Amino acid sequence: MALSSIFGGGSPSQQSNLPTSSASSSVKDQLKGQIAQELAVANATELVNKVTENCFEKCLMAPYTSKQDTCVDQCLAKYMRSWNAISQAYVARIQQASANGDI
Amino acid sequence: MSGISPTELQNLDEPSKKEIMGFLETENSKQKVQMSIHQFTNLCFKNCIHSVQSADLSAQENQCLKDCVNRFLDTNIRIVKGLQSIQ
Repeated sequence: MALSSIFGGGSPSQQSNLPTSSASSSVKDQLKGQIAQELAVANATELVNKVTENCFEKCLMAPYTSKQDTCVDQCLAKYMRSWNAISQAYVARIQQASANGDI
Repeated sequence: MSGISPTELQNLDEPSKKEIMGFLETENSKQKVQMSIHQFTNLCFKNCIHSVQSADLSAQENQCLKDCVNRFLDTNIRIVKGLQSIQ
């Protein structure tokens, strides 16, 4: 997601290039990979849960018809767009606060 | 999880341990921001999006989402200040 680039993360950080033994280096990379993977799964799960909850509320009508598929698809797309809008507004706010020395 | 054995972890050299600590710190703060965005999106979507007839955000919806985040943060700051003054 766009955020990671702003916070300097995303790709494994390369700040320290201290000499490491190759055994340590491989364990280290494996560990980082596992952590990043777990976080990605946690984020995806959270997103799926929240989208399901919200789109269930917006689209639920009994009895189920195929019309609801369209509703759910559109709701998902709209939720993702909302996620992006919120993320931009929040990051802008954090950056502003940090520029003002509030954090 | 494909295993990293405890011995392998203990045998990590100091620079690697430091690098992992630093990595955890950055990932941790990034994750906090991510979780806040999840929370805000959940809250503000409920508040601002009344129809999913269109998949696009209207200009009003977009503005409403942005205002929602900012008002939430204003409220948060105000409450923290209020609580601090009680102490």
